[in-house]
Parts: sequence; structure tokens; C-alpha cells
Amino acid sequence: MNQQPFVRIFTAPATLCAVGFLAAMAAVLQYSLRAYVPGSLDPGGLTLANFADLLKPLYARVFLDTVVVCAMTAVVTLIVGYPLAYALVRVEQPILRSILLVIVVTPLFLGEVVRTYAWIIVLGNNGFINSLLMSLGLIGKPLQLMFTSFGVVVALVHVTLPVMVIMLAAGLSHIDRDYPRAAESLGAGPIRVFLTVTLPLSLPGVVAGTTTAFAWTFSAFATPQLIGGGRVNMISNLVYQLGFSSFNFPFAATLCVAGLALTALVLGLLRLASRPLRKIEVH
Amino acid sequence: MKPSANLEGEQAAVHFDVVSKRFDDVVALNDVTLGIGRSEFVTLLGPSGCGKTTLLKLAAGFLGPDGGSISIEGKRVNDIPTYQRGIGMMFQNYALFPHMSVAENVAYGLKTRRVPRAERDKRVADALALVKLMGMENRKPRQLSGGQQQRVALARALVINPTVLLLDEPFSALDKSLRSSMQVELREIQRKLGLTTIFVTHDQGEALSMSDRMAVMSEGRIRQLGSPVDVYRSPADPFVASFVGDNNRLRGQLVSIQAEQAIVALGDALVQVPGERLSGLEKSAAVDLFVRPEQFRIVAPGEPCVIKGSVVAQIYQGGHVDLQIECSGSVGDRLLVRSPGEQAVLRWPMGAPVGVAIQADRCSVFPAA
Amino acid sequence: MTPRSTYQKVLGWIGLLTVFVIVAFLILPAAVVTIAAFNDKPILSFPPQTWSWRWFGRALAYEDFRQGFFNGLIVTTWSSTIALCVGGMFAFVIDRYEFPLKSAIEGILISPLVIPHFTVGLGFLILAAQVGLSRGFAIVVICHVILVLPFVLRSVYVSLRNLDQSYEHAASSLGAGPLRVLATVTLPLLLPGLVSGWLFAAILSFNEFTASLFVTSQRTQTLPVAMYNYVREFADPSMAALSVMYIVGTAALIAFANAFLGLGKVLNIEQSH
Repeated sequence: MNQQPFVRIFTAPATLCAVGFLAAMAAVLQYSLRAYVPGSLDPGGLTLANFADLLKPLYARVFLDTVVVCAMTAVVTLIVGYPLAYALVRVEQPILRSILLVIVVTPLFLGEVVRTYAWIIVLGNNGFINSLLMSLGLIGKPLQLMFTSFGVVVALVHVTLPVMVIMLAAGLSHIDRDYPRAAESLGAGPIRVFLTVTLPLSLPGVVAGTTTAFAWTFSAFATPQLIGGGRVNMISNLVYQLGFSSFNFPFAATLCVAGLALTALVLGLLRLASRPLRKIEVH
Repeated sequence: MKPSANLEGEQAAVHFDVVSKRFDDVVALNDVTLGIGRSEFVTLLGPSGCGKTTLLKLAAGFLGPDGGSISIEGKRVNDIPTYQRGIGMMFQNYALFPHMSVAENVAYGLKTRRVPRAERDKRVADALALVKLMGMENRKPRQLSGGQQQRVALARALVINPTVLLLDEPFSALDKSLRSSMQVELREIQRKLGLTTIFVTHDQGEALSMSDRMAVMSEGRIRQLGSPVDVYRSPADPFVASFVGDNNRLRGQLVSIQAEQAIVALGDALVQVPGERLSGLEKSAAVDLFVRPEQFRIVAPGEPCVIKGSVVAQIYQGGHVDLQIECSGSVGDRLLVRSPGEQAVLRWPMGAPVGVAIQADRCSVFPAA
Repeated sequence: MTPRSTYQKVLGWIGLLTVFVIVAFLILPAAVVTIAAFNDKPILSFPPQTWSWRWFGRALAYEDFRQGFFNGLIVTTWSSTIALCVGGMFAFVIDRYEFPLKSAIEGILISPLVIPHFTVGLGFLILAAQVGLSRGFAIVVICHVILVLPFVLRSVYVSLRNLDQSYEHAASSLGAGPLRVLATVTLPLLLPGLVSGWLFAAILSFNEFTASLFVTSQRTQTLPVAMYNYVREFADPSMAALSVMYIVGTAALIAFANAFLGLGKVLNIEQSH
């Protein structure tokens, strides 16, 4: 019988959660349209002034920095993540595979703070890299790695690498192994097999991975805050500062809304650019 | 289809009355009427997408019909959910609960019926004895072979004394030798218990060997309902003729028709064929002859025959030899001819010119499509 | 072994070396933190001159860490359990039925995957203020439920997709009503998916930082927030010691999940042959 015995009961809690989340997002939207009353936690009347303020060079600069950092991180993560994902899918021995899997997945669950702290120790002036290079006599005084875009990107790549590898591996694992075998049987060498068969077939995974990496980096807070140390500012840092230092919640909300619009724009463009790929999705 | 072969609602164990079902824009069942008698073993046979599985799912209650009514033991079940229908079902992959032991699987239907513990244990033991699986009670399904899993599935379906047993291609996962012995065994048990059974398959050999009656289906309709012998000997239409058993289609021209007999021209030769399905056809109309491979006989080129040709392929099958004959005339392109024994391999070598004679009185003839 | 030419072998070695370097990059921070944690001196230096366990004791005794840990347990237990119930039920109806607003609700619940956590955190902070909810555990739990729900939904949905419906059909053909089918067949067969979904949610919730920073207060701060505040104020290796414990604990949990549930399956990266 085509009855739907549990639909109502089973959908109710999910609907409640969806409504709650929508309300939270609506609250952000509503605050973004309210005036800031200095010294008060309550917002003032309706205004569009917050959005006009976004155009000030200070904030435009932060937006630009954020996009550059996100894009660089996404691209570097893709380049570093692909070989690892490939290895993860192709390793035959179960033990080696499990070890690799645990190494890849563990950082995903470690959280941003622990990983960022570890990078501070690696990159700091008395940190691992500088100590190593100085004791080898390669440099005379410590390199400035902390508080630079380079440092922030390196740490962010480390943060986004696991999720990128998982998405790439998911794409790669769904490619039937007979495709590369067929190419090989037709006389293609390993590099040609990779470039003409494996890589094109894995592009949907590449798009998914890059998209997620971009969104995750955009969301990062502790890494730019602690490693950027105020010299590399991302939208997340600005939102927190505005909210908890100057209690300017309306403008913080405006930045959030603008950030969402920016994310939507970038993800939309990525999806548009990847549209021709839909044809080759294999399942 | 002979209407008399279709049981009326009251006497049928399962009755489909003008049942229709569509999925979006696809008509899966088109006004199907079918009555299944008590203790009868009826097979639904047809190519994939013909509606046979849909019909079984309607009987089980996994789907509801869009039109018409379905009754079991005279009671309309359109609005009765599966779990109140009292059916027993065997699934293609057996669907043995992987987290339960063999005994727990078999006992499941008794628990839902609140059968007391002592009786339950006894009936489970009896059912497992019936399918010859004593001593396996505590195994998990994955520890059993394919044949054993199927026996558990059968025991589980039988132990609840179902009003009707539904079989959804239960043999398709077994290898060939095991399959035929399981078929015989299932049929024995079904006869012994007098169980009304609906069996779905796409394997025509299985349908011919097991059924009391078989319904040949295509495109959501029953094309023919009858005993296996009837269906094989006198197919109701060209679809049934070509779907059940091997058949050769020869194009001819009607010369004359008189009562039961018709004369048809095949190229230069004239043959006398059964004419019951040609009534009303005008002279010199095109007709299709369906001739079974065993209704041909190969003769030497000089002897009287209907068709001339040469041997292009020999398929040695052990007990018999299948020959493919390329014809010179306009009646058809290649003929499949079955020759009993194995002499044909040497007697009619590749490329040899041969004549083909027809036992025309047993073939089926239809107006050309 | 498949036969391979010298050229293929060379390529293989290059590939292996590349993977080795990347794995080294992945492990580097954890390794460095471990070394730092055993440095006896309160100031960072490589390589450490003297070794000691004392920072582990300090980390375990530090009141903010202890409180953060227990707060985290409360938040994690509640949020992942609630998310499992809500997400599990909803995944079931998405898989089985069509109903109005289905894809809308699904879309909303999946969207936290791409919405920055600081936005989610700010949203719940403002919402709590607007409806007069104090900054207690409730708002933190609600926020975490929303953040981990997409992962639970996905995990349960994948297991449902892989569940052959003929088991449920078989049960109902044997006379089991919908509730009984759910309890005796569907739920037991889904158990691995439910457990891994819960575990996934719990680990994510326990580690969530950015949104927590917005919605927690001094009283409800979770461990990552406590750690963040510590890093901003102090530079001694207590934090390194805590990180080591964190890394070891998480890796153990992951290895456990992999051994018992098959992480590859959960993450959908099993090779199809």
C-alpha cells in the first residue's frame, strides 16, 4: 500500500530545525538593515547605510584579501590533495590503506584551534622551521613566517586538505577501473592514461573539492586570527571584532550578508564553469 | 485468450479484475483480468518491463492499483496493507534478514501472528524439516550457500500457512544444476501443501516446466493464458509464438482457405497449414508461418522439399544438433533447424546444399504484421 | 603482480615520493607539537634541551580546560543525539516519500555546509537575544545541532540508499505492521550508519570552534574556545601537551571507527571494481 505512515511525525522535528535556522539567518539579515547606536546593544532604525559603508577602502580591502586567500588556498590544496587522493584510492594493502586513511582523516576532526596552534609552533620565530634552518646555518636570523599571507595560506591548506582529499577520493573511487585498463590495452602509457582518462573523469570530484575548500576557508577564523595576527584580516575576523570589541552588531551582520552573497557568487560561478562537466559524470 | 479459462471471482483464490497501473506516463498494466484457482501454480512470463512484477507487487500489496480490484479468497484487498493479507513471498535475492539466525528468520512471521512460544518452535522445526535444513537453526544467512538460503526463504514463507505464495524470480541467483533440482523440489512441496502460487519469471523454460497454467505478458497485457502445452503448441499471436520457445518466421501468401485448413504459397511450394487464425483474410494476402526448429526436416537436395538452401552454421548441443540454413528464396533469411542425435554433424557439413521439408500441419499461421 | 616497465617503475617511485612528502606535511604539525609538549622549559625552543612530562599535568589541572572539557561533553552529547534523531527520521522520509516542501527543508538543513560558521554563530547569538533566551547551554546545543545535521543526514541517507527494500517488504509480507518493520528490520540494519553518523556528529561538535566562540559565554565555553583564549594569553607548552592528548584521542577514535564501521564506506571513497 502506498501509505505514508511516518511522514508527519518524522518531518516535524526537521521542520522545526529548519525554521529555527531560517529565523537565525533572518535575524542576521534584519540586523544588517538596522542602524548602529554606539554604546547600546540594541540596534536603531532601518537603514541602508551599512551596505554603503561596505564600499569604504578599509572593508573593500578585507573582502579582496579574503577572496585572494581563499582562492590561493583552494588551488594549492587541490594540487597537494590530488596525489594523496589518488594514492588513497589505489593503495591495495588494507593496512597501508587504513593508516593513510587515518592520517588523512584525523586532522579533519582536530578542529581549527589545535591545528592553528601547531602551526604557530612550526612557523614562529623560535619555531621549528626557523630553528632547523638556523642550526643548519642556512639563515642568519629568523624568517618572518608568522603574520604573513604565506603563513596563513600554509596553515589553511593544512586545514582544508582532508576534506579536499576525501572529495577527490570519492570522485576517483567511482571511476570504474576498467576505463584506464581499456586505455592501457589500446596502447596508452601511464601519463597518457592519466591525462586522457582518469583526470577528465575525476573532474566532478575536483569541482566539488575546490568548491568546498573555498567555502571552508571562507569560514576559517582562528587561523587568520592567530597566524595573521591582525596583519592578515579576513571577513570572519572583522565580524568578530565588530561584534565583541565595538558591539557594532548591525555592521557585523552586514558583513555576514555580504560574505554570503560573495560565497554564493563564487560558488555559482564555479558551478557555471563546471556545467560542461555534468556530461561526463559517471555513476 | 479463451474466456472460459479465466476463473470467475468467487471461485478464484486470487482474482485480478480489470486492474490497471501506471508509473508517471508509462502504462505498466492495462486492464488485466486474471483468476487463479485454489492450489494452482500460475506463472507470469514475459520480457522485462512487461508488467509481470508489477502484477505480483499488486498481489503482495507493495503497490496499489490505479483501477480495478484485486481479491484474495473472495475478499477485496485493494485497501488492505501487505501485513494483513496473509501472503507468503519469496524474493529474488531471498531477503533473509542478515541480523537474524535461520530460526529467527523462519519464526518472524509467527511472532507477528503472536503464535505461542512452544507452538512456534515446533512449527519452525517442521518447516525447516520440510526444506531439509535441520541442524542449521543457529546459523546466520551469510553462512549458508545460495541453495540453502533459498530453502530458508521458502521455509519462512511457508511456515505461516499463507493463503497464496508469491515467487519473484526466486531461481535467478542459482547456478543451472542447482536451479533445476530446486524447481522440482519446490513444485513437490507446493503440490503436497496444495498451495496457490503465483510465480514470476522471464525464463520461458522455467515457465514451461513448472506451471499448471502460464500467462504470457507483454506491454502491460496478458497475451495468452493457458497450459504450457497449449501455449507452446498453439500460440495466440505472433508475440507469444516468438517469445515462448524457438521459432522460425516464414513469410508466405494465402492461396485458399477452407474451414480449418488453408493453403499457403512459400516461394514456389504450396503447403497445407491450420487456418483457424486466418478467417476473413483475402486471397493472396501475406501471412507469417511460425515453424518450430523440430518441425523442419533436412533432406538431400534432390528429394521433394519446400525450401532450398545451404548449411552456414552447425551448433552441436550434445543430444541434438542445431543447423542454420541460409535460404535462396524469398521466404526468410536464415532458418534454425533442429536435428535429433548427432549424425547431422557429419551428414550435412558446412556449405552443403540441402532441402528443408516442413511438418506444416503443426505450425502456427497468422496474418502478416 | 602486474608486469611493469622501468619507465612505469620510475613513475611509481616519483609518485611514492610525492605522496610521502605530502604525508610528511600533514603529520609535521602534530610531530612538532609533540616534541614541544615534552620541552621542560616554559619557552619554545628547538630542539628542547631538557625533557619533562610536567606540562601534561599542568594542562590536566588547568581549570578552564577542565571546565571546557566537561562543557564540551554536555554540548556534544546533547547536540549529536538530537541531531541523530532529527536527521535520522528526516533522512528516512526523504529516502522513502514525496511530500510538499521536501526539497526546501532538505536544502535549508544542508546549507550550513556552505554558510560560514561565524555567520551561523552570529545569527543564533542575535536570535537568542531577540527571543530573550539567556546565553546558556540551550543556544549552544541548538547551534551545534544545526551545524552537524548535514553530516548526520548524509550518513544516514547513504545507509538507507544501500538498504535493500526487499527486507522490509519481506517483513511486511510476513505480517509485520509499519512500526514493527521499523523496529525489527529497518533500525537494526541501519545501526552501523546510525552509529557512524552519531560519532561523526559528536567529533565535529566537540571540535567546533568559530560558531561556539559567538554563542558560548564564560560559563558555557567549550574546550576549543578555552584553548583559543589560552593561546591568546599564554605561550607555555601546556597547550602543546593538551594538543597531543587531543590528537592521540581523536586518532584513536578514528582508528576505532575505521576498524568497526569502515570509514571508507562512510566517506563514500571505496573503490568500485
